[in-house]
Amino acid sequence: MALKPGRKSVETKRRRSTKFQADLAPSEDRAVRTLKQELEVRSNSDFLADAVALFRWAVSERRLGHRIFSETQSGERKVLMFPRLERVAPEAGLSRIEISWTERELASLAGLVSSADPQPPTKALVRAMRD
Amino acid sequence: MAVVIRRLEESDETEALDCGDAPLNSYLKKYAWVNQEKSSIGVTYAAVEEAVPLRVLGYFTIAMSSVPREAFPSKHARGLPNYDLPLILLARLAVDLRFAGKGLGHALISEVFRISLRVSGEVGCRCIVTDAYRERTDWYARYGFAPIEGAAPEGPQRMFLDIRTIRAALRPFPHAPPNPVS
Repeated sequence: MALKPGRKSVETKRRRSTKFQADLAPSEDRAVRTLKQELEVRSNSDFLADAVALFRWAVSERRLGHRIFSETQSGERKVLMFPRLERVAPEAGLSRIEISWTERELASLAGLVSSADPQPPTKALVRAMRD
Repeated sequence: MAVVIRRLEESDETEALDCGDAPLNSYLKKYAWVNQEKSSIGVTYAAVEEAVPLRVLGYFTIAMSSVPREAFPSKHARGLPNYDLPLILLARLAVDLRFAGKGLGHALISEVFRISLRVSGEVGCRCIVTDAYRERTDWYARYGFAPIEGAAPEGPQRMFLDIRTIRAALRPFPHAPPNPVS
């Protein structure tokens, strides 16, 4: 069955869009509604698109090592501190250091490193990586 | 309390930190900045409160290191790759006593793991090694650090965590028990 050109493009568009659902606490929901009102954004999709654009910009700036700050009219500056953004900040390369090892420590280390299967992660480690 | 962990800065207030251990307090106050910026022998990350962004509440210092292939005793070197073994040394980790028990240590070690994974992806790194105080080894063991045998009994305990174990922690529920069959 051949589809009409117009219908095909609508279907392609539908296939490409992704649904996004979020559970918001009442306070967050109120904040979103207030922001939408202030910014005169009508749909949640537009709101999300703007938020993503802003976040992408912040990530790209921080990734370059730039700091993001607000400046009052009198010149007072407040630097934005956002834990997740700090994760993309560039590392200036870790320094190198020499460690001294005893022969027994090296034998033990060799045993740990050469094991074919690493130890499975502990609950605390899983929590650390997913928090 | 919202906490941010980021590289130590020169303007950071380090004087007030008291973790209950004089060498760890002293390292932050006297050496951390110099070692990071001038000597380049260790990078320190500071935990600061979002509302008071210069006061250091806890910190850790890490550095890259490696063990030369030829340093391993020959009978133990067979299963190892034919190259030096790159690793990350977790050289210091401390939390101010006033913030102990509030999850700051967990936040700091979590950041160590994230950085280690990033480094392993960028320049290669096989494991994390730390010299833990004997009374703190249980805390490190909770995260999967295994003791490296052979250290002097009165000194710190050298401990090891495989980077593959950290990577596995990111996989979706890698060790979840199978669904019960009803």
